[in-house]
Amino acid sequence: MTPEHTALQRPMGAHMPVSGGLHTSLIAGKAIGCTAVQLFTANPRQWQNAPLSGDAVRAFREAQEATGVRFVCAHASYLINLAAANEVLERSRDAFRAELERARQLEIPWVVVHPGAHAGQREDDAMAHLIESLQRILEETDAQHNPVGIALETTAGQGSTLGWRFEQIGAVLQALGKHPRLGACMDTCHIFAAGYDLRDAASYAATMAAFDAHIGIEHLKVIHANDSKKPLGSRVDRHAHIGAGEIGAQGFVPLLQDARLASVPVLLETPEARKMHAINLQRLRCLADGQPLEVQVTVLFFGHYRDYYPAPCVLMVPYGATVRELAEQLAAQDVRLSDLLQYCRFAMDTEYVTPDSALVSDCELAVLPPVSGG
Amino acid sequence: MAEVRIVTTPIAIEPLQHYVATTACGAVCLFVGQTRNHSRGRSVRFLEYDAYIPMAERELLRVAETAEARWNCRVAIAHRIGRVEVGEASVAIAVGAAHRAEAFEACRYCIDTLKQDVPIWKREMYAEGACWIEGDRVVGSS
Repeated sequence: MTPEHTALQRPMGAHMPVSGGLHTSLIAGKAIGCTAVQLFTANPRQWQNAPLSGDAVRAFREAQEATGVRFVCAHASYLINLAAANEVLERSRDAFRAELERARQLEIPWVVVHPGAHAGQREDDAMAHLIESLQRILEETDAQHNPVGIALETTAGQGSTLGWRFEQIGAVLQALGKHPRLGACMDTCHIFAAGYDLRDAASYAATMAAFDAHIGIEHLKVIHANDSKKPLGSRVDRHAHIGAGEIGAQGFVPLLQDARLASVPVLLETPEARKMHAINLQRLRCLADGQPLEVQVTVLFFGHYRDYYPAPCVLMVPYGATVRELAEQLAAQDVRLSDLLQYCRFAMDTEYVTPDSALVSDCELAVLPPVSGG
Repeated sequence: MAEVRIVTTPIAIEPLQHYVATTACGAVCLFVGQTRNHSRGRSVRFLEYDAYIPMAERELLRVAETAEARWNCRVAIAHRIGRVEVGEASVAIAVGAAHRAEAFEACRYCIDTLKQDVPIWKREMYAEGACWIEGDRVVGSS
């Protein structure tokens, strides 16, 4: 792929951890090939957060400049429920105001927020609270010239959450007169769990037709690409690695190749960020490009195996294949390699890995018999 | 700041010692591993060390930095690869610390962990033939 080709593609990346400062999300994201990054700008499981320091803001802006990450969005705290009835409502509104203010300081264009939960209220009442919350906050922040947008995220419909039907998100957008700072975020795992299929061209077309009818494709600002551990319509929200869930790798192809969404940023929120984000991101890129899901692995042998294979071996393995599967493939080809799994350790790109680790595209896999340095 | 190096020429031990011996040190512990002229009853002519170099450098650094953090000391390690004659140093570890207990312990940790995790292998070259050494196993070849 040429750099020009990459530059033309939509921003793609992942929700990145911020341990070490907010700016480290961008640096770590860039290191694994993200051109888009989502982050929490504060602890997502606590109500009170200290305001951002000038140093943190500066470091973040500098990191965005230095990394060239093209799209950044913030994900609001999980505690916020803008549809709540009781004292949680005012706390949520305050916390969400703080989210928008932090995003403004960091020059982040969108904050993704879940529409909330009715938690025992009548659904209409909860929707009314949600609409009122957004209306007030949009008015206030308009007056403050805060340009940060609010992207309401589709949910899985777990418990009493709102936003699992496209109609609900559409109703909020309608009620607020399609305010330009209001948009939608579509999470593939959530909509799938909520009952919207997308695994083949026909079901995807039907899902997007419903999305367009109720929300409007032009309001789709962010896509969360996550596979689902739970089946279609389960209304249970469990994210899985791309290709390792009920949606399946091919289930992402219609979405990723939909020309209408070509400029909408795509972000992963899959587990095991440190190890798996790079792999999941490669899978998405591969699927978007319509490439076969195979990865090239360069195998290096050491110790006495070097006598058999003095030069590196280049192999193609299926996408998602593990070190164990590669070792089995090698054993099937050469009986002298039949004991690799019992006898050797393995390193991928110079880091020890377990046999259950998935092989990363274009990685270097070293077969390491017991060492004898010193 | 740890200093680690993989070299193809004889190890210069003094620079390692100087590197770790800051004025805050009350103890410098130096370990030198050298090649023997015999192994398992066979006479060894010389040794050949092979390494997965980029990883060996990273692992050496990890060992040294872990020791530095755990024992509040300064560590320098050099490992030689390629042909090493009998009686020459194959590895040298220098540790500088405030007191001897930390220096000894950190040095011991470094050599033990190196022998466990750093991807370097030796091949013993005899008058007739050679063997790879892999942990406790001797694997015959040529």
